Amino acid sequence: MTNGEEITLVVDGVEVRAQAGMMLVDAAKHGDVEIPVFCYEPKLGQPVGACRMCLVEIEGIPKLQTACSTPVRDGMVVYTQTDRVQEAQNAVVEFLLVNHPLDCPVCDKGGECPLQDISMGWGPGKSRVIDPKRHFQKPIPLSPLIKIDRERCILCYRCVRFSQEVAEDEQLQLLERGASTFVGTFDDRPYIAPFHGNIIELCPVGALTSDAYRFRARPWDIEDAGTVCTLCPSQCNIKLTVRDERIQRVLARDNFEVDDGWLCDKGRFGYQMIESPDRITEPMIRQGGTLVPVSWEQALEAAAAGLRDAGERTAAVVGGPSSNEEGYLTQRIVRGPLGSPHVVSTYDDAVDRELLLELSRPQLAASVADIDRAESVLVLGTDPMHSMPIIDLRIRKVVRRNGTRLAVATDRPTSIDGVAEETARYSPGAMSAFVEALAAETGAEVYDRAEGELGADAERIAGILRPGSTVIVWAGEPSLAVADLAAQLDAKLLEIPAGANGRGLREVGCTPVAGPGLSETSTGLSPTDLCEALTEGDVEVAFLVNADPVRDAPNGPGWNEALQKAKFVLAISMFEDGSTKHADVVFPAESYTEKEGTVTHPDGRLQRVRPGVPHPGNARPMWEVLAELAGLLGDETGIDSAGEALAAIAQDVPFYARITEGEIGGLGVRWQEREAARNFPLAPGARPERSSVVVPTSHVGTTGGVPGASPAPASDQLQIGTYRDLWAAEVTDRSPALRFLRPTQTLELSPADAERLGLNGTPEVDVRQNGTSLRARVAIRERIRPGTAFLVDGLGDGAGALARHAVEVSAAEGGE
Amino acid sequence: MSPEFPYLPDEGVVVVQRGPEPGGVGGAYRAFGETLRGLKTTFARIIEGPVTIQYPEEKTPVYPRFRGRHKLHKFEDTGLEKCVGCSLCAAACPADCIRVVAAENDPDDRVSAGERYAEVYEINLARCIFCGYCEVACPFDAITMGHEYELADYNREDLVFTKEMLLAEPVERTPLRREGE
Ligand code: SF4
Ligand code: SF4
Ligand code: SF4
Ligand code: SF4
Ligand code: FES
Repeated sequence: MTNGEEITLVVDGVEVRAQAGMMLVDAAKHGDVEIPVFCYEPKLGQPVGACRMCLVEIEGIPKLQTACSTPVRDGMVVYTQTDRVQEAQNAVVEFLLVNHPLDCPVCDKGGECPLQDISMGWGPGKSRVIDPKRHFQKPIPLSPLIKIDRERCILCYRCVRFSQEVAEDEQLQLLERGASTFVGTFDDRPYIAPFHGNIIELCPVGALTSDAYRFRARPWDIEDAGTVCTLCPSQCNIKLTVRDERIQRVLARDNFEVDDGWLCDKGRFGYQMIESPDRITEPMIRQGGTLVPVSWEQALEAAAAGLRDAGERTAAVVGGPSSNEEGYLTQRIVRGPLGSPHVVSTYDDAVDRELLLELSRPQLAASVADIDRAESVLVLGTDPMHSMPIIDLRIRKVVRRNGTRLAVATDRPTSIDGVAEETARYSPGAMSAFVEALAAETGAEVYDRAEGELGADAERIAGILRPGSTVIVWAGEPSLAVADLAAQLDAKLLEIPAGANGRGLREVGCTPVAGPGLSETSTGLSPTDLCEALTEGDVEVAFLVNADPVRDAPNGPGWNEALQKAKFVLAISMFEDGSTKHADVVFPAESYTEKEGTVTHPDGRLQRVRPGVPHPGNARPMWEVLAELAGLLGDETGIDSAGEALAAIAQDVPFYARITEGEIGGLGVRWQEREAARNFPLAPGARPERSSVVVPTSHVGTTGGVPGASPAPASDQLQIGTYRDLWAAEVTDRSPALRFLRPTQTLELSPADAERLGLNGTPEVDVRQNGTSLRARVAIRERIRPGTAFLVDGLGDGAGALARHAVEVSAAEGGE
Repeated sequence: MSPEFPYLPDEGVVVVQRGPEPGGVGGAYRAFGETLRGLKTTFARIIEGPVTIQYPEEKTPVYPRFRGRHKLHKFEDTGLEKCVGCSLCAAACPADCIRVVAAENDPDDRVSAGERYAEVYEINLARCIFCGYCEVACPFDAITMGHEYELADYNREDLVFTKEMLLAEPVERTPLRREGE
């Protein structure tokens, strides 16, 4: 929008310096002149000039102009306070109030309402209108989470523009014309979309209100507390509204480099989980089969005793929402005094250290904002909508506004297929083969060019990607081919980890293949082997830190058995769940609204999680508990504050060297952009020995890893892939507002397969493989590759274990 | 240097004022005359009778605009609370002693006439300075200053008046000054 050239203009007699191309409203702010706006919101894209509130007088132009959609030019002379302008402003406000009810005392927006402020500041002060105002039924639900009051709507288009042009769900419309216009959905259907909560914040009046927040507080009753949402890897910056030490709502805290100012509904309404009365608030010990609350001293003593006995036969599982500090201290306890190498933070087996280093190297890392600057984007192996929702919005934005070319290559259809220029589908488990074919297509000579369908797909995708200006957003099977592809295209990589703080945990040493700072260490068991070792008794003690493998691991039932067989389980958890069921000692976990610490964004940005509300009950800061536990086991860490825990990390992770809370600040800092990035253990340009990288067997699907060349599954079989649905998460179950979004197990298959298996019109099926069976509803999806089908992971029914297996499907027995 | 004693002013010191010498007619007048003059007022008031009010058996009536303990009001016809829990009084209060927690009305079982009502309405009268700003701020005349001023209590907590206490018809313990009184 701006081309960076400095120009000078005069606003109300004051000389203002601004960049050419900037909109006049923004430029005027440089001269401390405020021009009132309603519809202008740069986050929504190009201004539309719908409300006329921002009229100003410009010398040389006979008519008044809208400051929100007039780019500044050198030498422009602008007046914002002349009689003509004031008359226009008074008239606009008067017109807006013609139909606006006098609802302020009962309106939720009162006190933070732009209409109130602008009426006071720029309005005529009294009304001449005696005619009746227009009436609607009010307030009525627009969705299960939002109420709409159409009488209050000033028709600024903001919410509709969000739905049409940002989230692109296109559900919200302006219906009718002229004075009868109102905001609604087709046929009054509920507006259900994963980002729709943003319209509450966008609405400049109280027409759209959050059902959960309605009437909870006035702006003068509340305090704001900034932190970071750790419900998914997006790590959006949020602002908690706190009243009486309780979270009342969550608002976006704009950070262009991270979230662009948007939130998904999970982050916006998921705070209810934190307020849940089911939280564990007390340390507990299992006595006679039940968990009973005890003092911290007793619990720590019992935990230390259990870990001490097992020593090197201990394994730690660190869950995604853990902070860097928690992860660091956990691995320090396990690797240090206990002398065990088994620390995992994801359930995917994949990588050895060389590959990990190759894929994490700073030269290859894309920042989120790099997506805005790229000419082409490749989405590989994941649906950002489910894995990192905010990236979905960002990709839509760049395609729409910058004309960025988008290619999508995944096993399952994604929500951004519609805006992609090319899409390719491969069989579940065949990602590596596809990436190799793609790398070969872009010119990497170590791979053979693929033939047939695979080759054609790779060629189509490769045709989109601009060398030197591509960002590859990827998740799934790590392979050297991903790095080779990036190197070939001179592209940058943005990996979406499975856990919210997956990258940070890996970098502070929560991986069996590397210690803190991805340093060399004795290799521990991979998650799958670990689960087996626990079941077999080779590993005796499980230390779960904010982790629930029974729910989150693909092989949930296997972990259930493993934890049951374990001699001793120490769990740090917010709730009693499938994993704490087997725990002998439980510590209450902190949520991201209580915690003090740091997390690392998938693009390497360190961000601070800051406490906004007090700990529930007897819960304590976890870094403190872990440091104490380390002390009991003989490792006097000397860590007495969260800051000191960060300092210890900075000491042990060379590429985080000397980082402090102050440097991270409110908006975070990418470690790749700091001086210390030079300490990354892999020298730029150094390539790992090719032979040292083995593709782990668990990643080779039953198709032999090659789509197209796969032996066609038997005529009544389907190749299963799984995906983690955005809403298949604990937060959905524990937040009353979100509960209606909990997914039911669904088998998605192509129309051809439905036809072939005679499943057209069948509501439910049994999916069978090797003795296990689960029930699922049927959904027929156009864009699914024939022969493959998809199930939702993370629902606790063991669907994850079916991934990459061929299954038999038949209509559900026992009818409906 | 020890001070000289007895003190004898040296020549440079000028004595500017001296009391009259005691004794004589002037002395006698000064001793009794002035006292009698004062007593004149005393005896005159004795005739008027006592003005002491025997509080608490007797009370001074207050003016109609006297600002005493607050009252919350209901509509007389519908019985609904006038307060909609808008918190404007809380915003206006300079002593920060009003706490309002609003909630949504159930259309079938309304508490107030609007969309919202005050689920919690508390005034901490230990902090209130009786400025009456809350009354001025209220858009629905839901809160007014009453005439009650006998608010002493044994516990600070008891001075936090809840919505129920403020809504209840107060026992009128303070006489109101009648017109022209
Ligand atoms: S509902 Fe709000 S955001 Fe939408 S058009 Fe009306 S005033 Fe604007
Ligand atoms: S996208 Fe993720 S991080 Fe962002 S608000 Fe939603 S849940 Fe939170
Ligand atoms: S009278 Fe004044 S101090 Fe007392 S509650 Fe009302 S506004 Fe507050
Ligand atoms: S008393 Fe009046 S100002 Fe106070 S909350 Fe009730 S309606 Fe609002
Ligand atoms: S803000 Fe300029 S027209 Fe609405």
